[in-house]
Amino acid sequence: MADEYETFVRDSTRVLSGRECVLTLRDLTPGRSKYRGVNVRGVVSRPPRASEPILWIRSVVGLKDPQPCSIKIVEELPETFEGAPYSDYFSALERAEG
Amino acid sequence: MSNKDFRSFLAAIESSGDLVTIDEKVDWDQELSGIGRLSCEQDGPAFVFTNVKDYSPDWRVATNPIATWRRLAVGLNLPADIPLRELYQTYADREGTMIPPVVVDDGPCKEVKIFGDDVNLFDLPVPMVHDGDGGRYLGTWDLVVSKDINSDWVNWGMYRFMIHNERILTGYPRPTSHLGKMLLDGYVPLGKAMPIAIVVGADIPSHIAAAATFRIAGNEAELAGGLGGHAIELVRCETSDLYVPASAEIVIEAEIFPDRIAQEGPYGEYPGYRSGEMGNSLCAKVTAITRRRDPILTLDTTGFKDSSATTTSISGAIAIKRRLEKHGVPVVDVYIPPEGGVHLAVVSVRKGGAEIAQQVVEILTARRALMSKIIIVDDDVDVFNMSAVIHAFATKCHPDRGTHIHRYEGRANALTPAYSLKERVSHSGATVAFDATWPPEWPTETTPIRATLDSMYSPEIQKLVTERYRLLGL
Repeated sequence: MADEYETFVRDSTRVLSGRECVLTLRDLTPGRSKYRGVNVRGVVSRPPRASEPILWIRSVVGLKDPQPCSIKIVEELPETFEGAPYSDYFSALERAEG
Repeated sequence: MSNKDFRSFLAAIESSGDLVTIDEKVDWDQELSGIGRLSCEQDGPAFVFTNVKDYSPDWRVATNPIATWRRLAVGLNLPADIPLRELYQTYADREGTMIPPVVVDDGPCKEVKIFGDDVNLFDLPVPMVHDGDGGRYLGTWDLVVSKDINSDWVNWGMYRFMIHNERILTGYPRPTSHLGKMLLDGYVPLGKAMPIAIVVGADIPSHIAAAATFRIAGNEAELAGGLGGHAIELVRCETSDLYVPASAEIVIEAEIFPDRIAQEGPYGEYPGYRSGEMGNSLCAKVTAITRRRDPILTLDTTGFKDSSATTTSISGAIAIKRRLEKHGVPVVDVYIPPEGGVHLAVVSVRKGGAEIAQQVVEILTARRALMSKIIIVDDDVDVFNMSAVIHAFATKCHPDRGTHIHRYEGRANALTPAYSLKERVSHSGATVAFDATWPPEWPTETTPIRATLDSMYSPEIQKLVTERYRLLGL
């Protein structure tokens, strides 16, 4: 597990609801594998909890929310989601939440 | 010959003063691409970086190979200072001469071969191009090979691909692109994975051909041969029956899933914005990487005036001219200015007016609509002279009857920043033609006369003035 991640969201209220959600994290650990993607089921907290990795939220145009969050990773998911090419990725995340 | 392979091109632009090599250590995380980005905005040189942080000196990275007309000319084995109109004409002439590729048994792109689980995309010094991008983009200045499942049609296109993890890539060839069409019409209905090969650092004509606006079922390898004046040598991939330019620096072989997706984007794109077009992409698993022993990774630091400002512009303008001619429009010249982010075309016609303007906008939005603005001018306006074009647009285009808007659904450019998020997702949009021509029904005796040397002075005075300028060295 890394110390710091970022994620891209269409609707930040979905991930900030306090409930478990599915999202793709980008690992911000410096080095050759920086920005590696991992799909997880987790719970996002704001303000961040000291025991959890930091999570930065970015919008669909990449705008960074200056307020940090943290994420408790409940489960690492498969590297891809079910979905036809060009189908909506955010809908696939919601489907994966079950 | 400057277009034999990518290395001969680099040597040629170094000779012409259009390449800077940086040997100091540079970070792949935004710093490297920031240097290339500023150069695009200033019409500056291409760069080669020989010392990339976290990576061995075996690797080099080259940015924005042909983001200026000078470098495009060198890539076509022409003088760097060739006049733009002449460059356009030469391109159009060569485009009409196809030279078939030849197949070879081996090539420099096969010096190192890595397969399956040994593949790690993070072993390549792929830059983080902009702060806030969805990930690191491997495919920016690339050439993606794909093959139609129902015919012999092989497509080369230039499409973006992002690293998701060690073996997974996500990408955004538009659904209306030739690759998108092959995938959606052929492989997805059958539930079959589609093989692709992402070629990095091939000869310049091959990349130009891949980026070109070219007909469906056309053979870009033949086009590349025509543009470069010699047959492209192709070699077979290791894990599919696709063929790639043998001289390439790196080849990524992969298969696009027919039923899996992952995050792709957002990404700062050629219109000069990051438009929030993420969320509708495709996903591929890498099956092999082949490369040279000391490869050069190529990068287009996409954004305002990137390499598409020359490549897509020149081929797009020529394609537009041919399409308008085919439909009987009295077109004279077409120019797509680099500053317009491939959203603005200037069309000159022998006879203008409302009917022609409406016809032009309908023809140019019939299948896929990449241009959102078209300025139509009379043929006494040089389309390559943007001062003259802006003058005509500002003064001759009637604010009401000179504006012809054509709306469409399902084929709009999702990267157009002016569109709302909803429009970008649904590919809904519009194109407007600005008619900056004199209405043909206006009598000549009352049509305004332009107050420029070439219009409001006698030929004798024009000759005297130009001769005086020549003697004064002006």
